[in-house]
Amino acid sequence: MKIGTMLKDVSLAFIHRPVTERYPYTRQATPERLRGRLQWDPEKCIGCELCAMDCPSGAIDLMVLDKKAKRFVFCYHLDKCTFCAQCVQSCRHGCLEMSADDWELASLSKEAFTLYYGEDKDVREALAGTASPDGSGPSSD
Amino acid sequence: METIPSFFAILIFPSGLFLLVAGLAYEWADRKLLAQLQNRIGPRWFQPLADVLKLMAKEEIVPDGVNVPLFIGLPIIALAGALTAALYVPIAGLEPVRSFPGDLIVTLYLLSLLTLCIGLAGSNTMDRFSVVGATRTLTQLISYEAPFLLAMLGPAIVAGSWQISSITTYTSERWLLLAQPLGFLVAIVGLMGKLEMPPFDAPEAETEVVAGALTEYSGRGLALFHLGKGVEMVIGLTLIAAFYLGGVTSPLLFLLKTLALLLLVVVFQALFTRLRIDQTVGLWWRYGVLLVLVQWLIVIIGQRLVS
Amino acid sequence: MHQDQTVERFTVPIGPQHPALKEPANFLITVEGEIVTKAVVRLGYAHRGIEKATESRNWVQNLYLLERICGICSHIHATAYCHGVERLANVEVPPRAQAIRVLVAELERIHSHLLWLGVAAHEAGFDTLFMYSWRDRETVMDLLEELAGNRVNYSVNVLGGIKNDIDAGQTQKILAGLDYLEQRTRHYLDVVTTDAGFLQRTRGVGVMTRNQAEVLGTVGPTARASGVARDIRVEAPYAAYDSYPVKLTLEAEGDLEARFVVRIKELFECYRLIHEVLDNLPSGDLTTRMPRRIKAAETVSRVEAPRGELFYFIKSNGSDMPERVRVRTPTICNMTSVVKLAVGHQLADVPMILAGIDPCFSCNDRMVIVDRGIRQQCMSWDALRRYGIAYYHGNHS
Repeated sequence: MKIGTMLKDVSLAFIHRPVTERYPYTRQATPERLRGRLQWDPEKCIGCELCAMDCPSGAIDLMVLDKKAKRFVFCYHLDKCTFCAQCVQSCRHGCLEMSADDWELASLSKEAFTLYYGEDKDVREALAGTASPDGSGPSSD
Repeated sequence: METIPSFFAILIFPSGLFLLVAGLAYEWADRKLLAQLQNRIGPRWFQPLADVLKLMAKEEIVPDGVNVPLFIGLPIIALAGALTAALYVPIAGLEPVRSFPGDLIVTLYLLSLLTLCIGLAGSNTMDRFSVVGATRTLTQLISYEAPFLLAMLGPAIVAGSWQISSITTYTSERWLLLAQPLGFLVAIVGLMGKLEMPPFDAPEAETEVVAGALTEYSGRGLALFHLGKGVEMVIGLTLIAAFYLGGVTSPLLFLLKTLALLLLVVVFQALFTRLRIDQTVGLWWRYGVLLVLVQWLIVIIGQRLVS
Repeated sequence: MHQDQTVERFTVPIGPQHPALKEPANFLITVEGEIVTKAVVRLGYAHRGIEKATESRNWVQNLYLLERICGICSHIHATAYCHGVERLANVEVPPRAQAIRVLVAELERIHSHLLWLGVAAHEAGFDTLFMYSWRDRETVMDLLEELAGNRVNYSVNVLGGIKNDIDAGQTQKILAGLDYLEQRTRHYLDVVTTDAGFLQRTRGVGVMTRNQAEVLGTVGPTARASGVARDIRVEAPYAAYDSYPVKLTLEAEGDLEARFVVRIKELFECYRLIHEVLDNLPSGDLTTRMPRRIKAAETVSRVEAPRGELFYFIKSNGSDMPERVRVRTPTICNMTSVVKLAVGHQLADVPMILAGIDPCFSCNDRMVIVDRGIRQQCMSWDALRRYGIAYYHGNHS
């Protein structure tokens, strides 16, 4: 039975720097697999909506303006997203990926949490045509 | 320093405002050193001050079934006792403001006033955590005050006086740490037990009884108890530094010696697990008293041999 | 007037809000002085209706819902679910995916045990051990972030396999991290078994004999600390555990110290397993195709969570949503042991005994409907056991 078994740790602590990361003055490098903000590549999208169907929290709403002409607006609810990357997995054409650098997503207003990806004119048309694309609950078939 | 009027001494310097600020500063040093030992950054310098200000600004909720004058008055009495004790102690390396034969006993009793008030405050409320905490506080009071008192009286015996200023005059010429190491150890541990610092913080063990005797306190009452503990820490460290570490004759020596003692206290805090209340009492009521009595025996025999 | 020496007897409520608990639960502890005379537990404060919610989400969405039952054992919940659903759909997961599932499960076990070590040390009042073990836990969390993309809720599982592969760089990092952790774990084993103050709080406290452990139905490291040799990874290997066999860690004393020692020794076993997995990782695909609709069947899936045996019952009805998912977590098995063991100890020991079972309250809140008077079927222990064995043989090969 010893007394003060952590003496070595405690004595070494005088010379070691504290391990606390002094965020936001320093930022550690993020691994490349980090699941940050979702990014959508419209070129490859065919409008199958598998991503919206499989999202556990209903964060994706793909508004199809013209399927043949491939005019889509990808509405992404950042506040509902759980960053699970199931949409990335479900998409068979590789349109989606999660950014590894864009992970500081806090905001003071709610507007910043609903993102519309797509051509500007498509987005305007989508917003004018439909009501506020808010789904309460998962989007199920 | 009979020249300082009591009014000034007790409100501004060396007791009062100066001592409150010193208490907060020492609390910060304690938390910062403990953090460094645990390999993390501690709080910034104004954290204890911010805590006290926040507590003062909050509403003080008086629970049902308490004796209201007692509830409101106990924190004030505790802080007042702690501040008054500073009058007889060489704070900041200067001579004690007031001094009379036997003031060592008076000081030690004033220092225990804080613990007694905490115990009473806990028994006052009807909350179960408070009652359990109060029981533990008073139990710990008995087992830690006695050895602490005896350890403080050790230097008094060799100095041949019960007056703090005479004792410090005697000890500033010789380091009693070397002559009475057991007494020093008992004094340090006794101080930690008095102040309910880990590993002797069973009375306010956060994970068992929520905050011990002070569970029902909020706002101003809690702030005053908090300040009282800080003040007691400074006074306790000053006494031990003055008696065992060769006196505090100048402000610089005061700072250095009390900070060195604080470092020792912090290392003890970091190294050990919290003891259960029966273990704390069992440990110290036996070994503490034994050690200090052995120390006394050595001192008395030593004195007889010399004279 | 004859005055009895009546000792103050009252009920100290630990919870629902209490600094000792990381999650809400209500323990009503009746004390006489400092000795506990009765303990009653009330759960249900973290009930979120997850089992009902699974019935209105499709199979893929449910994976992520069930993963979030618990933060510390999220991967093992997902694994159990995936196993059940894959068995229902009669799909064979490729061996590389199975091996990576084992790898992440063991990394999660390391993370969970280090977290528990810190929390239990904090309950004992040993804050230094708490800070240091949590500092070392950061190593394994960084590894998991490298591998999976997130520190908690790793989401590496998909129905039919695994999302992320391992490359050589990550393997190096994992091995380096494990070397550091192994050295620190040896130090912690030393601290836990030799520190005088710590032993005073843990040796001889909360002793549970082997018989008691079996009767109370405890599982996981809590049971293994009392000599009950049960580990699903050994008894009914799932994923790739038959390729990488596990050695049981047993202790016989059954007190708190034994529970500490079992969990720390399990950490060494985890390191060894991960080394073995990384050395012999089979090559191949990561996923197989899974159907969207699963024909009607029911299945049972049992896995070894860091806290004990985790049990899933999944029933499908031919659509793309499950009919019923029932989760039985290990903490609810171990909870009765706390209330039984607390009696006779001091009040200060109760948080330690609670911490000794590694409680995860958010896992264990389920709703049970007690149907009185309508149908009654009383089964003896043996009859129930025989029924279970027959059920298993009948429904699965």
